[in-house]
Amino acid sequence: MDSLIATALDTARARGAAYADIRLVSNREQRIVVRNGVVETMTADESAGLGIRALYDGAWGFASTRDLTIAGADLAAGQAVQIARASASQNGAGASVEVLLGTPVSSQGSYSTNISVDPFTIALEDKLALLLAADAEMASVPEVSARMGNLVFIREDRTFANTEGALVTQTIYEAGGGVQATAVGHGETQRRSYPQSHGRQQGCAGWEYVVAMDLAGNARRIAEEAAELLTADACPADVSTDLIIDSSQLALQIHESCGHAVELDRALGDEAAFAGTSFLTPDLLNGFQYGSEQVNITADSTSDTGLGTFGWDDEGLPAQSTDIIRNGEFVGYLMSRESATRLGLPSNGCMRASSWNRIPLIRMTNVSLLPGTWTLDDLIADTDDGIYLETNRSWSIDDRRYNFQFGTEVGREIKNGKLGRLLRNCTYTGITPEFWRNCDAVCDAQHWQLWGTPRCGKGQPGQIAHTSHGASASRFRNVRVGVMR
Amino acid sequence: MLGQDQIRRLLLDALRHCPNGADADIYLTATEQALTRFANNRIHQNVAHRDAVAHVRVAIGRRQGRAVTNNLTDEGLADAVRQASEYAPLMPEDPDFPGLPEPLPAESVAAYDRATAGCDADQRAATVGMVCRKAGAIALDAAGFCRTGETELAVASTRGADAYHVGSFSGLLITARSNDSAGWSKGGGWRMTEVDVESLADEAIDKAVRGRNPQDLEPDEYPVVLEHYAVDDMLEALSFYGMGAHMVQDGRSWMTDVGGQPAMSPTVSIWDDGLDPAGWPVPFDAEGVPRRRVEIVGNGVVRGPVHNHYTAAKASGASTGHQRGATGGPTATNLFMRPGDQTTEQLIASVKRGLYITRFYYTRLAHNRGCVMTGMTRDGTFLIENGEITTPIKNLRFTQSYVEALAGCQALSSRARLNLNEAGVAMHVPAALLAGWRFTGQTV
Repeated sequence: MDSLIATALDTARARGAAYADIRLVSNREQRIVVRNGVVETMTADESAGLGIRALYDGAWGFASTRDLTIAGADLAAGQAVQIARASASQNGAGASVEVLLGTPVSSQGSYSTNISVDPFTIALEDKLALLLAADAEMASVPEVSARMGNLVFIREDRTFANTEGALVTQTIYEAGGGVQATAVGHGETQRRSYPQSHGRQQGCAGWEYVVAMDLAGNARRIAEEAAELLTADACPADVSTDLIIDSSQLALQIHESCGHAVELDRALGDEAAFAGTSFLTPDLLNGFQYGSEQVNITADSTSDTGLGTFGWDDEGLPAQSTDIIRNGEFVGYLMSRESATRLGLPSNGCMRASSWNRIPLIRMTNVSLLPGTWTLDDLIADTDDGIYLETNRSWSIDDRRYNFQFGTEVGREIKNGKLGRLLRNCTYTGITPEFWRNCDAVCDAQHWQLWGTPRCGKGQPGQIAHTSHGASASRFRNVRVGVMR
Repeated sequence: MLGQDQIRRLLLDALRHCPNGADADIYLTATEQALTRFANNRIHQNVAHRDAVAHVRVAIGRRQGRAVTNNLTDEGLADAVRQASEYAPLMPEDPDFPGLPEPLPAESVAAYDRATAGCDADQRAATVGMVCRKAGAIALDAAGFCRTGETELAVASTRGADAYHVGSFSGLLITARSNDSAGWSKGGGWRMTEVDVESLADEAIDKAVRGRNPQDLEPDEYPVVLEHYAVDDMLEALSFYGMGAHMVQDGRSWMTDVGGQPAMSPTVSIWDDGLDPAGWPVPFDAEGVPRRRVEIVGNGVVRGPVHNHYTAAKASGASTGHQRGATGGPTATNLFMRPGDQTTEQLIASVKRGLYITRFYYTRLAHNRGCVMTGMTRDGTFLIENGEITTPIKNLRFTQSYVEALAGCQALSSRARLNLNEAGVAMHVPAALLAGWRFTGQTV
């Protein structure tokens, strides 16, 4: 491997690259889906290849190949520089931006996810038994017409090297699982999921992470809740009220309205044609009240079990924790070497590629709301009139991350400090800084949980990133709810 | 390109490792794509990748095992077949599994253009440079991409399936921006020559210029004229949230309880056709079953979903050839919507007070029934007053049933355009005049 890396980097340099890096990635993934009592999917996926990035005359080129021979690497390196030359040929077409990468990166070392049990050592029969047991629990509820359970296990071995002397190797494990019940009747279709929606909960962890979920132990409960929702009252239509948002829904709220908004490439316009830009422009850094003083958000790639946890990012920067929102003030971006240098800052190590055949982009790591001081019981008792919302069902936000609308699988009325009737088809909508400035209470560490979001799309060609977000249930005053037809 | 002969040899050799008494099929996809991406009037990302992936399925009775690999050596493929063979006996029986489909000959369809597949980085850079110069000349920022490449698809099975197809693809996407407006255009297909670069650049730039100084508008229900980009979003949502038979069989589809009923306006007819060269043709599915033309909505009446071999067997019918990937359910990915007889200008002229929408963004399912979606307008939203576009409007949020909206379809443009997305989903659709669209919020 060393000679393959050396050949690729030497070729890039010899063809004129001022900088080059190479990533070799081998990915193994096992995915099991049980739908309505039968195994719909049981795959063992293996993918391996390398990607080379080259900087020539202030312009980037990237090429990748599944040919992991020295000849293959040499060919890809040459192609990367050739593509960079084509990019450079149009430097005069529009705005000229000099690409500077700041302090050289020469990280060395190795890293592996901290796991107790390697999920690939567990017998397939045990994994199937876990899902089939959960399925049987859901099947006991007659209103449930569709049942789904799934498990995912990933092992990815990555090597990164660059022309500045970096060489790091990493082994990342991920484990995830979840169940979902859909009930049909009374002219309605309703869904409940556990531990969260979007298929599953997922983390950088081993088999123990899935066992701890107790999917079978929670399957009948969520199936019964799906059935109960068929005849539940609808969310009050188009009114403003106080919300207590549960940890998992708040995690997605953070992802959409904060995590994406603080990606510096978006703020600089690099994603304008696809993912969009951001209202958090560089002139607002360290001078904009994003939320209330209760709101403290960090980007932390060292969090235990986070999907954004690693040893080094895909530019060789070490894992770290940096403040994004401090006491409500916007104080930090997610950055790459190139974008950070444009602001005169060091990168905080947020460049991640989804595969060997994709370039690194600025991606979320583990962007989390830090715990506050409330217990959930006290918070509900302190709320006269409102709704407690659980588990995401729909999500949408505009291209500058201002106007959002979320739906949840379930709502529960709060009256005079007590939880009341079940509510279906709950939605809420708002404008990001107004919403976060109306956050007046955050629950404490015992209610705090890190949630995986393994399907974050960005970039062209498209990339799916795995990120995590920690949160505890929090209260937001005067939020518009019930926008549904 | 791997080529038909090499792929056939690889797959047939690999199938020899299928154990006695079992059946196997292999679905192979090989893609070479290059994409030149630009923003702020410069190329900031420029990439090329090639990969080939074999999806192996081994069936023993009513049990299936699967394995996937991008190691296409003889040994790598043999290992994948062995892995799938080891998994299959461990699976519980699926009483509805009908076995692998019997081979049927697929029609050959022309969808490959050598010049498009072979387009190099210099050609793409020159295209992008032209767009950036046009935008920069009037102080706009251009962003987007130019992409070209080719995809090979093949299926071989122990039952005798032996299908191969190669298609090329191209795409040019442009967003032109000022500090308070944006315009959008997108073209593509299997021939780069069909992408009119100059015209697409002008289209995006014109919207950005006319969109300056956007105004507030009270969210309410308004008649809308949707450009084909917005109609494309509607058909994609209707496809993914309900045109697959598995969703209908589970009761999760918007078709649930409205099959055979006139749920949409009689002006609306929607069908899937994987052989029509006006789309992005793919003549067979991931099981090697030939694609059949399927009428999904006929004159407003909901006709039915698309099937794979599994869902068809459950419905006692025949597969329509719509198993899109190796796993998951059947999907309609080559949709056509019947055009009308008016120009877009005539559609606008018939609106007293309404909105002209270029496209939708971040649309997500809010409720299965009726396919209720929420999302935003983006890159060109304008007020129509007395039959004319008058005022640019800040982007609006909507929460709207797509089925109900199409029940109010009053007219369609005579010109339909192809919308080919990066995942190979192709929608050939006209612009539409809809009686009502429910806007529920506005952005800053």
